[in-house]
Amino acid sequence: MGTRILTVEDDERIRTAVRMALEDEGWVVEEADTGEEALQAFTRQPSDVVLIDIMLPGIDGFDVCRSIRRVSDVPIVMVTARADTHDVVAGLEAGADDYLTKPFAPKELSARIRALLRRARPTEVGVTHLRVGDLEIIPDEGVVLREGVELHLTKTEFRLLVELASSPGRIFSRESLLEKIWSYDYFGDGRLVDVHVRRLRMKVERDPANPRHVITVRGLGYKLQP
Amino acid sequence: MSAVGPEIRPVQARTRPRRRARIIAPVRRRFGLRTRLTLTFGLGAAALSAVLSLVTFGLTRENLTSQRERSAVDRAAIDAARLSPQLPESPTDLEIEQFLRELPLTDGTAAAISYADRWFTTDDINFSSSAVTDSVQQSVSGGDAIKINANVGGTQSLVLGVPVPALPAEYYEAVPLSDLQRTLDRLGLTLVLASILTTLGGGLVGYWASRRVFAPLLDVGTAAEAIAGGRLDTRLPVGGDTDLDLIANPFNEMAQALEDRIERDARFASEVSHELRSPLMTIAATVEVLENTREELPERAQTALTLLAADVDRLQQLVEDLLEISRFDVGAIKLHLEDVRAAEMVIQAVRFLGGGGVPVRFEPEIGEVTVRVDKRRFGRVIANLLDNAERYAGGATAITIERVNDRLRISVEDRGNGVPFEERDIIFDRFSRGAEGGNRSNDSGVGLGLALVDEHVRLHGGSVWVDDRFDGEIGARFVVELPMVEQPVDTASEPITEAIPIT
Repeated sequence: MGTRILTVEDDERIRTAVRMALEDEGWVVEEADTGEEALQAFTRQPSDVVLIDIMLPGIDGFDVCRSIRRVSDVPIVMVTARADTHDVVAGLEAGADDYLTKPFAPKELSARIRALLRRARPTEVGVTHLRVGDLEIIPDEGVVLREGVELHLTKTEFRLLVELASSPGRIFSRESLLEKIWSYDYFGDGRLVDVHVRRLRMKVERDPANPRHVITVRGLGYKLQP
Repeated sequence: MSAVGPEIRPVQARTRPRRRARIIAPVRRRFGLRTRLTLTFGLGAAALSAVLSLVTFGLTRENLTSQRERSAVDRAAIDAARLSPQLPESPTDLEIEQFLRELPLTDGTAAAISYADRWFTTDDINFSSSAVTDSVQQSVSGGDAIKINANVGGTQSLVLGVPVPALPAEYYEAVPLSDLQRTLDRLGLTLVLASILTTLGGGLVGYWASRRVFAPLLDVGTAAEAIAGGRLDTRLPVGGDTDLDLIANPFNEMAQALEDRIERDARFASEVSHELRSPLMTIAATVEVLENTREELPERAQTALTLLAADVDRLQQLVEDLLEISRFDVGAIKLHLEDVRAAEMVIQAVRFLGGGGVPVRFEPEIGEVTVRVDKRRFGRVIANLLDNAERYAGGATAITIERVNDRLRISVEDRGNGVPFEERDIIFDRFSRGAEGGNRSNDSGVGLGLALVDEHVRLHGGSVWVDDRFDGEIGARFVVELPMVEQPVDTASEPITEAIPIT
């Protein structure tokens, strides 16, 4: 069965055009024109990727994002009107993995979706078991344990943790993390990394305000402290 | 006749203020309003105090002189009256001198008796017979009492002559007026000093008053400057002073009207661009779907699709640029500032955003230089400059990064026809492409690229201009200058976001 994509967009013409473009990529597309409908559809049958327009009538894109996040680690791409508003950070904090601004080219969307799907199957790390401090990471199973208790990370958060854990103590610049995890070039949005690090800390750190594992290195980037 | 009148009137009305202005203007130019106010107060005080002083001086002198004269006349009459009872009928010289000696004279008053044409005096040196002219003596001997001002021994004195009826004698007294003169001199000096002080005081009051009056005007100036500088919500305080409110209220109304209008214009542009995005999104996606099935289309349709796809790209770029420009206009740009290595950023821009093989040149130490930029927007700056060179000059030949004082210069050079001197400023205006750009009939640019470069660079605290090539050959060099960052901050944990709000 092909990859299923749920698109939530209230403009019918855009929805149809995007569906056709995505179908040309060989994906199965399911459409929803409201947040409520999207949640019902997702509950009925979870998809592999969700595309959410933030501006929706009824419950907005942020709420849809949060509701899906509560039950699933599915990759979520949100569509915002502008890149420089707080919407981007709010959307990422609501649990989105990436964002696009309108109008975007369907080719760009396909590229984003492919990057997310690739990342959802973390198999390229040859190590089967990583231990960092009190964290235990099993890349092949997509599992993180802290003192034996499983932590629920999204696929992107997990990928970020595995990337940092591949060389504990090494500093990763935001540009390199953007490239490795999101397949962005140098001009990708650094806030993706910042918000994901914040989200990761909320889950893996005992005191997220004073992180012991995921450390910021002044002006250079991030590293994982064993 | 009556039909001519209205035709002439506006001409007169127009010329009159012009003529007035011509007369007043030189004075205005020489002195500021404050100086003129101060001078007016000072001169007014000077004139007033001068008049008062002169009147005071005149009245006082008049008063003192007549008082002195009156008492001198009285005294002389009394002294003269004692003459006949105290002297015998034919007094001897000794008796006359005795009499003179016993006179109770005061304050340097000299007395003299002319008896049978002989002159007896209490003051031989100064009050001799020559002090009183013959005509005076004749008048007195004729029975008239006289009173004259004369110089007695070098002192201005009041000389009084009194006939003595019972004797062939006249009695004279010389009352020196020098002490009176001294008093008047002192009074005069005092009045002059007082006038000077009053003048200075007037000037000071004028200065203070002008400052007081001027302070609100300066506030108006400051407010106008702030509005011109983009802070459109600047207003003057109202309600402090009813007179000042006459300026403040209309000023505030004007500022409000201006703000509303600018906002309306900017919002309109923003809304138009916004509304364009949804249909554009559909068109772009649909064109892509068509592109995916291009081979199945007839040849004519393929040609049409090529045209459509190219112009959809162009339209998309235009809307994106318009949106960005209108964000500048409503002040809604929020920069996501990061400290990045300038050289690396430029290299990456060339690599990912266009301009493929353009060499990036810089000295090794420049590689470490950090600038604080919104990476995405600054990437567009470089991309737009490369794109501009591509469109109008056959592509950029090199990018040079150099340090000039404490600023960083990024120069994009090309081998086009260069930019004529008179176009070097307007080339950054919106939709202005210069002669070179306008010649291209097949031009696919939209004329906002350089305007966006200008706005972005300025928002980053830098500047952009066009110059000649470094080697002086034909071609243009677009220079972007940015402030360098001395102390890189920890952008990874706290991205610096800068909002420039207008409303």
